Amino acid sequence: MTDDTIDEGKLRDLMKEVAALPRTIEPPADSWAKIRAGIESTPARTMRTGFWQRPVFLAAAAVALVAGSSAVTAIAISRGGHNGAPAIVGAAPSHITLSVSDSGPASLAQFTVVESDYLRAVNDLSATLDAEQGSLSPETVAKLRESIKVIDAAILEARNALAADPANRTLIQMLANSYEQKVDLLKRTTEMARG
Amino acid sequence: MSHLRRALLVAISITAIARVGAAQVKVERGLHLDADGSIRLINLVGSVRVTGWERDSVSLRGSLPKGDKLMMGGGPRAMKAFIESTDDRNPQPSTLELMVPARAKVWVKTATADIDVTGISGDLDLYVVGGRIRVSGKPTELNAEAIDGDIEVNGKPNWLRAKSASGNVTFNGSSSDVAISTVSGGITVSSVPADGSGKFERAKIESVTGAIRFTADIEKGAAIDFDTHSGSMEIAIPRKTGVDFDVASIAGSITNDLNYAKVAKGRYGRGSELVMTNATGGARVTIRSFKGSVTLRSAK
Repeated sequence: MTDDTIDEGKLRDLMKEVAALPRTIEPPADSWAKIRAGIESTPARTMRTGFWQRPVFLAAAAVALVAGSSAVTAIAISRGGHNGAPAIVGAAPSHITLSVSDSGPASLAQFTVVESDYLRAVNDLSATLDAEQGSLSPETVAKLRESIKVIDAAILEARNALAADPANRTLIQMLANSYEQKVDLLKRTTEMARG
Repeated sequence: MSHLRRALLVAISITAIARVGAAQVKVERGLHLDADGSIRLINLVGSVRVTGWERDSVSLRGSLPKGDKLMMGGGPRAMKAFIESTDDRNPQPSTLELMVPARAKVWVKTATADIDVTGISGDLDLYVVGGRIRVSGKPTELNAEAIDGDIEVNGKPNWLRAKSASGNVTFNGSSSDVAISTVSGGITVSSVPADGSGKFERAKIESVTGAIRFTADIEKGAAIDFDTHSGSMEIAIPRKTGVDFDVASIAGSITNDLNYAKVAKGRYGRGSELVMTNATGGARVTIRSFKGSVTLRSAK
């Protein structure tokens, strides 16, 4: 069908013209000179780096990141129950109990990495609960606040003790347990408030 | 005059009772549910009683405030029931009695309504805000959660999770896998040694300020953890039960009335510790207290 539409004469002429074209074309003689002049006239960009981009700080940040994530991982693993500890599984993460293992945070400084996660969770849940507490009775809200106050007092007391004795693993475990209780209570209440 | 006043009060009371009675509407529904099917029930205020029976059907009876509606539907595998209140902001009490296949999975949620469950061998998920939860029997799994309500379990669930904040948790029975948690509520665990199988294998029992009382036997090879901030703890086991104890308190006292092992100074230079083996050992019991007193003694 298409063969019928092709003008063989015109096609032959086109092929002749193509064959006659040069295989390469040289650029104009002064092109490279103009390009070089253009590059050299551009002011050199200053490559200033912040102190936080210096290798020593990047290395320190990497070490801190590794140490922090290791601590978090150790806690997370130990939550599953090590050394035959109870496997508190089968529900929301709030059901998981924290048990600081030998490889977990060994000092207050290391625990602060984990603590920041707890605090973030508490802030998020508190904000959600504030928004939804209208669905709870005033009595329940009052009792919830009282329970939170009790946990906060325990956290404060354990934290002060840990500050005075920063390598006490028993205290670290107790502090972690109190945080875990607080997160769990807020989470459960939020879920109930949602109906 | 006083007779007249009394008569008037009685008349008013009778009228009020009659009006309350008249304001309640009785409901009754029945639907087919597989023996291991699931049912979810929500009743915010009033009470819910769930009983297991050997039938593949559900019967829901109760009384609702006039104007409220019982909504119920689903298939033989799963169904749901709830009360549609005329006033969501101020729901009035409904009394519901639910009969379900004993092996069913039952999920109940209330606000202040009490929940009573008996005769269920399937799974139970029970949630109250301020109501009371009471369960009797041998459910496979029991998850009971309250904010300020009490929880009472009588029986032998295979798996138990019970949580309350200011409410008390009482467990009369035993389970191979237990986690009980409160904030200020007390925790009481008492096993049933009569049938010889009332022993604990894996348990995590913790409070912040609530007192913990544990009187039970422990399986050989068990792992039991107790934690409190300032609640007093009293742990009683049979004198011949083999347990490796690891007890530490930061500022509370430790009293050992179980055997002759002495309490030592804490390994971090503060508090006190008791690391000892009772009888032949074998089970592991870890007790941690910030400032609550810890007492070990023999179970009678």
